[in-house]
Amino acid sequence: MTAPSTPADLPALRRKLAQETGPRFWRSLEELAETPAFLELLQQEFPPFAAAAVQGFDRRRFLQLMAASMALGGLTGCQKEVEQRQLSPYVEQPPGIVPGLSRHYATATSLDGFGYGVILRHEMGRPLKVEGNPDHPASLGGSSAIGQASILGLYDPYRAQTITQNGQLASDSALRTMLVERAAALGATHGSGLRLLTGAVTSPSLAAQIDALRKAYPQMAWHQWEAVDRDTVRDGARLAFGRVIDTVCDFARADLVLGIESDALSAAPGHLRYARDFAARRRPDDAKSPMSRLYAIESTPTLLGAKADHRLVMKPGNIQHALRLVAGAVKAGPSDWANIPVPQAQELAGLIADLQAHRGRCLVHAGRAQPADIHALCHAINHALDGFGQTVHTIEPVEALPTDGDTSLAELVADIEAGRVDTLFILGVNAAYTAPADIGIAAALRLVPHSIYLGERADETAELCHWHIPAAHEYEMWSDVRAYDGTATIQQPQVRPLYGGRSAHEILAMLLGEARRDDRTALRERWRHASGAADFERFWTEALRAGVVPNSAAAPTRVAPRPDYATALPPPAATAGLSLLYRPDLGLWDGRFADNGWLQEMARPFTRLTWDNAAEIAPATAERLGLQQSDMVELALDGKKLRAPVWILPGQAAECVTLRLGYGRRRAGPVGTGVGVNAYRLRSARNGWNAPGLALAKVSGRHLFASEQHEWLMHGENLIRATTLEQLHGKSPVPEAGTSDASLYPGFAYDGIAWAMSISLNSCIGCQACVIACQAENNIPVVGKEEVARGRIMHWLRIDRYYEGPLDAPATHFQPVPCMHCENAPCEVVCPVQATVHDSQGLNVMVYNRCVGTRFCSNNCPYKVRRFNFFDYSGDDPRPRESWNPEVTVRGRGVMEKCTYCIQRTRQAMIEADKANRPIADGEVLTACQQACPTQAIVFGNKNDTASAVARRKASALDYAMLDELNTRPRTSYETAVRNPNPSIKTS
Amino acid sequence: MATAETHWREPVIGPEQNYATVSEHLSDLVLVQRTPLWWYAGFGVSMLLFLWLVVAAVYLLANGIGVWGVNIPVAWGWALANYVWWIGIASGGTFISSLFYLVGADWRNGVNRFAESLTLFAAAAAGLMPIFHLGRQGLFYWLFPYPSVMGIWPQFRSPLLWDFFALLCYILNSIVFWYIGLIPDCATLRDRATTRRAQIFYGLLALGWRGSARHWRNYKIVYLVMAGFMAPMVVSVHSIVGLDFAAGIAAGWHSTQWPPYFFIGALYSGWASTLLLMIPIRRLYRLERIVTERHIEVIAKLMLATGLMLAYCYALEAFQPFYRGDQAERDAYLYGAFGAHAGSFWVRNSLNIFLPQLLWIPALRRNRVLLVLLSFGIVVGMWFERFNFVVTALAHDYIPSYWFTFSATIWDEGILYGSIGLVLAGFFLFIRLLPVVSMFELREVIRRKERA
Amino acid sequence: MAAIFGPRANFYTQIVLISAGGVIVALAAMILILPNTGYATDIGFTPPQPVPFSHQHHVSGLGLDCRYCHTAVEQSADAGMPPTHTCMTCHSQIWTNAAMLAPVRQSLAEKQPLHWNRVYTLPDYVYFDHSIHVAKGIGCTECHGPIGDMPLTYKATSLYMGWCLDCHRNPAPHLRPHEAVFDPHWHRTASTPSPAQLMAEYHIHPATLTDCSVCHR
Repeated sequence: MTAPSTPADLPALRRKLAQETGPRFWRSLEELAETPAFLELLQQEFPPFAAAAVQGFDRRRFLQLMAASMALGGLTGCQKEVEQRQLSPYVEQPPGIVPGLSRHYATATSLDGFGYGVILRHEMGRPLKVEGNPDHPASLGGSSAIGQASILGLYDPYRAQTITQNGQLASDSALRTMLVERAAALGATHGSGLRLLTGAVTSPSLAAQIDALRKAYPQMAWHQWEAVDRDTVRDGARLAFGRVIDTVCDFARADLVLGIESDALSAAPGHLRYARDFAARRRPDDAKSPMSRLYAIESTPTLLGAKADHRLVMKPGNIQHALRLVAGAVKAGPSDWANIPVPQAQELAGLIADLQAHRGRCLVHAGRAQPADIHALCHAINHALDGFGQTVHTIEPVEALPTDGDTSLAELVADIEAGRVDTLFILGVNAAYTAPADIGIAAALRLVPHSIYLGERADETAELCHWHIPAAHEYEMWSDVRAYDGTATIQQPQVRPLYGGRSAHEILAMLLGEARRDDRTALRERWRHASGAADFERFWTEALRAGVVPNSAAAPTRVAPRPDYATALPPPAATAGLSLLYRPDLGLWDGRFADNGWLQEMARPFTRLTWDNAAEIAPATAERLGLQQSDMVELALDGKKLRAPVWILPGQAAECVTLRLGYGRRRAGPVGTGVGVNAYRLRSARNGWNAPGLALAKVSGRHLFASEQHEWLMHGENLIRATTLEQLHGKSPVPEAGTSDASLYPGFAYDGIAWAMSISLNSCIGCQACVIACQAENNIPVVGKEEVARGRIMHWLRIDRYYEGPLDAPATHFQPVPCMHCENAPCEVVCPVQATVHDSQGLNVMVYNRCVGTRFCSNNCPYKVRRFNFFDYSGDDPRPRESWNPEVTVRGRGVMEKCTYCIQRTRQAMIEADKANRPIADGEVLTACQQACPTQAIVFGNKNDTASAVARRKASALDYAMLDELNTRPRTSYETAVRNPNPSIKTS
Repeated sequence: MATAETHWREPVIGPEQNYATVSEHLSDLVLVQRTPLWWYAGFGVSMLLFLWLVVAAVYLLANGIGVWGVNIPVAWGWALANYVWWIGIASGGTFISSLFYLVGADWRNGVNRFAESLTLFAAAAAGLMPIFHLGRQGLFYWLFPYPSVMGIWPQFRSPLLWDFFALLCYILNSIVFWYIGLIPDCATLRDRATTRRAQIFYGLLALGWRGSARHWRNYKIVYLVMAGFMAPMVVSVHSIVGLDFAAGIAAGWHSTQWPPYFFIGALYSGWASTLLLMIPIRRLYRLERIVTERHIEVIAKLMLATGLMLAYCYALEAFQPFYRGDQAERDAYLYGAFGAHAGSFWVRNSLNIFLPQLLWIPALRRNRVLLVLLSFGIVVGMWFERFNFVVTALAHDYIPSYWFTFSATIWDEGILYGSIGLVLAGFFLFIRLLPVVSMFELREVIRRKERA
Repeated sequence: MAAIFGPRANFYTQIVLISAGGVIVALAAMILILPNTGYATDIGFTPPQPVPFSHQHHVSGLGLDCRYCHTAVEQSADAGMPPTHTCMTCHSQIWTNAAMLAPVRQSLAEKQPLHWNRVYTLPDYVYFDHSIHVAKGIGCTECHGPIGDMPLTYKATSLYMGWCLDCHRNPAPHLRPHEAVFDPHWHRTASTPSPAQLMAEYHIHPATLTDCSVCHR
């Protein structure tokens, strides 16, 4: 199993690294330590009966999934031939529907209120796959892991399916009666007792409805709460400009980027667009746009930091000092700031010089987890360096009510406790789980006379409210949403509510007495006014088709920081002592996706953990406290205590413990309940992101992590090739890319199409979108934590993570690894039944129904990209039968599977081309991973067509094949990672 | 050295023995003697183990091979180790009875029947393993080239397919070879049998053998041909098992040395298991004058010699990765020796190489208790060799992000221990129902002695 | 002493040995023969249908084109089954009260689909595409047999993989000109282009047709 990792003797590791000459890639501490841990592993090898029994039977998660699928009314995966299958044609065929042909509809998903355009692929009326919308400014065709997994959320069989009153089933009419009663009662008091709690709202129509509501009930109050909020961003704007302003970054124009623990590539509104623009400037061989330089200052690793040419690891307090220093130096603040003493002054000096050299072409961005003064300083620096109008644009706030969540929620609780609240509507906010521990929302909720919760799931909040109304999924309702730059999208339902969910619009309408209201009509009416289009029908159909409301982006405003903003800044945090950093999880966000099996089983980019969060601590801190991987510790903060397992994370700031939000759910269905530890139990409104004064004590017990990467020695210098721009431009030699095509036999001539893939290590930001896209497209089942821990994860595509350089601040490399489709495939010759063979396009195809499961192919695969159905994983997967992709075989027990280059897509394209007797155009076929990738790191196509993108990539000097010394001649190749460090900074 | 001299002159059969005594002694064991308690005990225990195999197999077939510890990358685990191990044990018997028959070694006649019977059951146990280990066990027959309606054939380039044929031939031929060797003795038993049931039972097995000159002539020809056929086959079978791995690209498998390596290992475990069973039976059945010190001496020496050959193989195994200078291979070897599964590596070295060196000393060589212990050690050590070989290369292949370990579950254990039960149960039945030593061949030995 | 076995024993033994050999041979023969028997191939299988639809009457008799009902056959993998409305285009005019059409009228009235029993069923791991076969000059009858003369639709071919491969390995003899694809009674005439010509016209390369990925995804 993964966990019992070998104790790492950190001082020894430092010495070891000190001795290393040249780049030394390593993956983990155990691996650096190179300690055999003899006895422990003997133990692993010959477990005593008890231990073995535990492994054998106690596969809790797995059994849960099984049980769940039983509950679902049968083994969904079972593909037994029924006696007599039937054909049931339509009575009346809907126009445009052709059986067997897929259709595509645009809409948008939203995260913390901000919209991302998507296009859903439908098969026979069922939405089955989410893709980014190329026409949408916040997506440009890219998508995120969360976006990709949203389709599973739609089909999630554990979504609430019935209205309940005090836990008892209630009828629709009962609900309507209740609402009418409430409306009447509240009307009498002008709504003085009415409270509305929502998440961040950018939807113009919802905002309009709420306005209407406020007119009808003048005394009501609207509260907002997002666990992963943007309060600091707004406060920063207030500090700098005196009012709330949203900023839109333009990474495409930034020659120099400074990220202050920036979430620009992972979570910031518009992060997909930012990632695309950013990657476009990190192409070493692109003559048109020179490679940009990236500095990152952060306390805990971010996706942006992983790409940085210079990554400065600092405690939050020091970051504040450092940024003041920078501000002072570039005349963005009091000149006396310029001589604040801070660590890593040499790097900062280099950075400052670089900033001044790139006036007007540099961009400073801070993540939402940074305090307000950091954001204010960023604005000031951007302004001082003429960034405004160049790399940064300011727009009026996109949110309808840009308010401070903590205050808002605190007020609500105060009102409730003062008995001023009679009726509380909670629209889709799981406040009972996500609210800070010091705001006693849970207790308060019990005091509300009438609480109505509209939520997708019977979660912690539903438990505490009188009424729970199942909410419709975003793909089930008419609405609209605005993107980071204000662009609006009209969300159209992709399918009738599967489980009878209702939309917020519907509930508010009922409250407004619009009894039988139709969301679509209302939305059309609203937009008829808003658009002011002459030909509204054309506007409407066009907006729906494109998934974007034409030129609805917010107009830039001209603002400048107040000259005296510096005086208003709060003092920097103390730099002494342990502090706890709360951060959103890349998959679960604030916990709302906890019952999404795909996101739970997605290996996190840095820890490679699945089904867990952990107290992520720096090696130095582990050293100081004598902690080892998977030890249990007790975190104590303001008298509150929480036990969590330790994960030692290189590149983490010393004395900082990072804890991901969204785990430890109590009521998140069979999949999400009880996974990881609940950070909210420590979180306070005051220190929502960085909490100083943390006490940490080792307690007994060790934790079993399920990490996709197993911790062992790393000798793979030839797996990752890295160089610098300097070397590339010949100032010093590039590491040679040795390759050998030696063969006794003439190779097979691929004269037709030769599918091939190239993956750029410069563009890959490790966001995992491709992994989930692959899972969605190719019917890859979820196996559960125990099975992952036993080395049986099923992902066809994984993203390996490599470290380079010093322990405390290593450079990070991400390497996506799909099937290499070797021309000399070692897997093929060893299969006794020809279940894996080559086809004439050079694909290494896996024929599931021929496979008998000898598994020799996996043994013989040097890249270890093959996956085996040790159990009937598909059959035990709780997702409903109709949610599988009909274009891909659902694999049964005992067969091998692997990446196919999305053969269902290539084959379909070839059939279409063949019918028309035309060649396939370059870019006509996109693999699922390629299509999802926000940075276009993955290029796929016909390498025989010299004009094709993939052929051009492979022609580059940077192109290399993994393990090419084995002469497997992979069709998948990589683009050497190139960094662009500042020559004036001597990296240790 | 004097003692050793005398021992070398120790006859292959007690001088006082004559046609009558050997036939009488051996057939009485089967026909007259009442079933001894130790037999019931032994057979009972074996059957219990065998039952474990049945349970483990049913559970396996019902739930899939996920019940084992196998994973990605270590997709082959105990089942394959068991397979190679059992095949190895099997080869010993065939080798004794075929090759030493061809070179006309008299001592061979004292032990070949044991060894061959062991071969039979070991081969059967080996045959089960590859089928159990399939993901879809029910479709194992797809490896057999028959004109299916799918219009496709097996992959003839795959070592697993060669293995399939090798194993099939080996099992079938072993049965035939063993049975042919039995016919004249069955006739003897038929003639000596007193009860009707015994007469019919042995009569049927004897296939109407009358011992006429013509019978003997045909018999000799057939047996010689079979022997001449089996000797190379036993070599090829285990070489092909070696090729299963040699043809793989996995670092630590991809090497031409495995065929001889595996074959030598096979003989080694063959000798050991023969001794392991022979010494107690000899004692319990009072066969000291028929299976003499000489036999034990010879096999012990064979064991020592084979052990040295194996040591050479191990040395080569260590030498080659470093000689070839392939990073991954070096790592794989070092991992095998010091990594997660190093236990099996050192167990195998001590039990297969270090301890058996005691056999240099004649006195120890003649200490039967020690011999039994050493042989037991070697049989165990050989399993650990197979395990270490199969698992470590997989656990430590080219891509470090997929380096992992293997940890067995009780269902792995069930299959291994259960298969031991299968073999022992079969062996107990054999020693109860059939003459443990070939009577007519002993008579030949006596005749040759008299001639001389 | 008395003989254990009677004089007949040898005879019986021989019988046993010979029959044992016979059994083995028989088994081998079974393996070869059984799959090709009608029992295994299901050729001629005629499942009951809610309405006894006759292709013979509609196609040969009335001369309806296949595509009148199976509208998707040229664009999609599925040929497409006609919605109830298609039936009613005519049957709202003729045979309006015919008892055998009651289910159709009921389907329309209750907006409930007709449930036809499948005649041809492929395993889920086989991805057959009607449109490409039609586009490449494979006539309906190549797989569906004399469909135009079937009073009740029955299974005309085994659909064994081997059967598919026969054609995929050597498509030439099975090709016909575009205009003849939907003709249920077509056969080669002197004027028909030669198989070789058709192969060229359709750009068919048999070498690529036997890739596993052609049908299995």
